[in-house]
Amino acid sequence: MTAFEDLKSQWENQAKSEIPKDGAKQILKKITSVRKKQVITNIVLTATGLVLVAFFFYVSAYKFQTVMIGLFLMIGALVLRIGLEFSSIRTLKNLNVSTSAEKFKKQMIRYYMKRKKVHFVLTPIIILVYCIGFLMLLPAFKESLSSGFYNYVVVSSMVLLIVLSIFIAREVWKELAILKELKD
Amino acid sequence: MGYVNGNDALAKDLTQEVFVKVWENLASFREEASIATWIYRITVNTCLLQLRKKKYLRGNEIFEKLTETPEESNPSKENQLKKMYQCINKLPKNSRGVILLELEGLPQKEIAEIMGLSHEAVRVRIHRIKNSLTQCVKNDSI
Repeated sequence: MTAFEDLKSQWENQAKSEIPKDGAKQILKKITSVRKKQVITNIVLTATGLVLVAFFFYVSAYKFQTVMIGLFLMIGALVLRIGLEFSSIRTLKNLNVSTSAEKFKKQMIRYYMKRKKVHFVLTPIIILVYCIGFLMLLPAFKESLSSGFYNYVVVSSMVLLIVLSIFIAREVWKELAILKELKD
Repeated sequence: MGYVNGNDALAKDLTQEVFVKVWENLASFREEASIATWIYRITVNTCLLQLRKKKYLRGNEIFEKLTETPEESNPSKENQLKKMYQCINKLPKNSRGVILLELEGLPQKEIAEIMGLSHEAVRVRIHRIKNSLTQCVKNDSI
């Protein structure tokens, strides 16, 4: 027996995993939970959108041009970012998983190349637009908030920006590593 | 099992994931290939998709966990099997798919269909992987 044949026979003789008796039930449960999650996500997003619109009217933002533009830029940047993520998730879900492995790998590489463009072109623009929107709101905040609360808003937003940037950078790094592995 | 370095729980997770995908894609099955080949394709591709998930630990971490477990019946064979998992994990993703299908005992023609390669390319690749895998298990280098 050659060395590889020996390895193969060891591979074949290793303990097999037990097949669960209620496997079909478990899978059906998983399918139902995936669908439920999709519905919940849609509800949460719609509710967030509605709350934002309601807030816009509640603070009568439409009466003050700078505030309106600032809010519009911030909300627009957020909506664009969420939209991009959703379209990415949809693209990933729609990859033809029953095609040959070589074709599938090419599809995945194309997907991650697109993501790379999003990370290095669109994401910085979105963050910049968001920051501009926030800076436009600052004078209005200063006018209407106590100095303590104003300082809190400024500092917490900076901390949030740093935390968010680190989070995004980690995700980008992870995706770039996957792309590298796929291309190897 | 080979894709997740011998981790039984993760392999079960992946199996579930594969069957969910089979269920979701059943309508697109056009009998151009046998149902087994079609399911194997989904399996290989689903494993490739798992690169995204953090919970799939790195090879070394799993290897350390595996070596912590007490060895019973035949320590050298057990060790060789662990080493084999580790060596398979060092291979590029598509080579990993090819050799795992070969180890499953699939005919090379079917492996070619699953991978989308020519029969000749698969034959050459298997030959190459077999050599490097055997060498790796023996010398711990690939």
